[in-house]
Amino acid sequence: MHDFKSFRPDVFRATPAVLFASLCDACGAKCFPPRESCPHCGSGADPRTVELGTTGRIYSVTTVRQAPPDLPTPYLLAYVDLPDDGVRILSRIEGFDEAPAIGTPVALVASDIDRTGTDELKFAFRPAPQVGKDA
Amino acid sequence: MRDVFIAGAGMHPFGKHGPDIKLESMGSHAARAAMRSCGLSGRDCEALYAGHVFGGPVAGQRIGAQIGLSGKPISNHENYCSSGATALREAWIAIGAGMFDIVLVIGVEKMTDRIKGGVRPDPDDIDAAEGFIFGAGHALSAVRYMADYGATRADIAAVAVKNHAHSVHNPYAQYQKPISLEDVLGARAIADPLGLLDCSPISDGAAALVVASAAGLRKLDITSAPRLRACALVSGTVQRGLGDVNDEDVSRRAGQTAFEMSGLGPDEIDMVEMHDCFTIAEIVRLEGLGFLPKGEGGRLTSEGHTSIGGPLPVNPSGGLLSRGHPVGATGAAQICEAFWQLTEQAGKRQVEGARSALAYCKGGSVSGTDGASVTTIVLTR
Repeated sequence: MHDFKSFRPDVFRATPAVLFASLCDACGAKCFPPRESCPHCGSGADPRTVELGTTGRIYSVTTVRQAPPDLPTPYLLAYVDLPDDGVRILSRIEGFDEAPAIGTPVALVASDIDRTGTDELKFAFRPAPQVGKDA
Repeated sequence: MRDVFIAGAGMHPFGKHGPDIKLESMGSHAARAAMRSCGLSGRDCEALYAGHVFGGPVAGQRIGAQIGLSGKPISNHENYCSSGATALREAWIAIGAGMFDIVLVIGVEKMTDRIKGGVRPDPDDIDAAEGFIFGAGHALSAVRYMADYGATRADIAAVAVKNHAHSVHNPYAQYQKPISLEDVLGARAIADPLGLLDCSPISDGAAALVVASAAGLRKLDITSAPRLRACALVSGTVQRGLGDVNDEDVSRRAGQTAFEMSGLGPDEIDMVEMHDCFTIAEIVRLEGLGFLPKGEGGRLTSEGHTSIGGPLPVNPSGGLLSRGHPVGATGAAQICEAFWQLTEQAGKRQVEGARSALAYCKGGSVSGTDGASVTTIVLTR
């Protein structure tokens, strides 16, 4: 049985899919990708690793139609905002026929990386059902 | 810090040159043109600062050996698209500190034999692994800019029309023919909404500057030369929270540093050589520097505000979009243009009465930050 591997275990766990951030207890800053020293307060205390929420909304999105030869096109790239964490993620978007509208809810998944000859998984976001405030 | 001047400038034309035109020969050509322009011999040149990204180890020394500089102090400088400007900044610091009186700066790049389909960050940057290429990043910026400010696709495309019109009169430019708005809107799609003509091309080329102290000018028998008032360098900061992706805090900080260093404000700058790697970039960076109000840059471009003859000419050379963008060479080429403009040698693209110029480069990106390197240089008569 394949053991599907995250392409960057320091940033992303594939099963179940979750992104890691660094949280500075001195100033509350949450950073993705994680940083070894807090870039905001310079307190000298090392940030600790936390898991980010797995649902967010599209902040901006584009369909990439020309890229270097190792990236098959077209593909979708977006900034995804995680409002509960106050963190913005640059991510591949999948599962849409065309670029979704700004504000579309999306959920984190693991996805095959573009490079052939490897079982590594990258992170991506797919369509998510609308989640109300009381859900 | 001593006063530092630009004594001479020279370029190898930017373009897609065949495999027989090597990086070393372009660098040598630009350097010799700059040296000839002010009568500098290899013997009297004390050091060489070379800016490039993809030239491989010791590219500067390979050029130095061609032009009579072997044995001299030679260093290589990389800050992605700000490499040429970073090399100039290092020369400025050294001359200002009294270490040298006359040095050469060369920005050079050979891309057409090694870069295909678009430039992107280092593979170890997680954005690159997700499929980020710089064109896509600027497309994300354009999508948001239009949504937030009501700017039209045509307003963004106007930057390309303007810059191609400017470089009709630039013999070193990769493109020297005008293009229409319809050409830009109908061009091959790269990353929606940007098309091929919204993007600077893959280019080869070189640009060189002779940089000197007052004593160096006297040695060259030059009585007056444009003075470097500021060479600012900042890095992007790790972003926090969910702000405006087009806020351009990094540009604001770079501009602030350059304005404070030079004692000049945006209102006192007569022309700008701006880093228009993509059309939208010229707009948001001019806004970030404080030259144009936020959200108005596209409309103002359409109205001619930043055309030669307008209130603030931007990219009279044609910019990266039309002069071309051999990445390590661009920062030096911007100062070549500023030098020619301030010494009234710009021919049919002359900005009348230009007494001050600002040149801005932004190079590279780091995941989670608002950019890698930004240089902002101010040159005055």
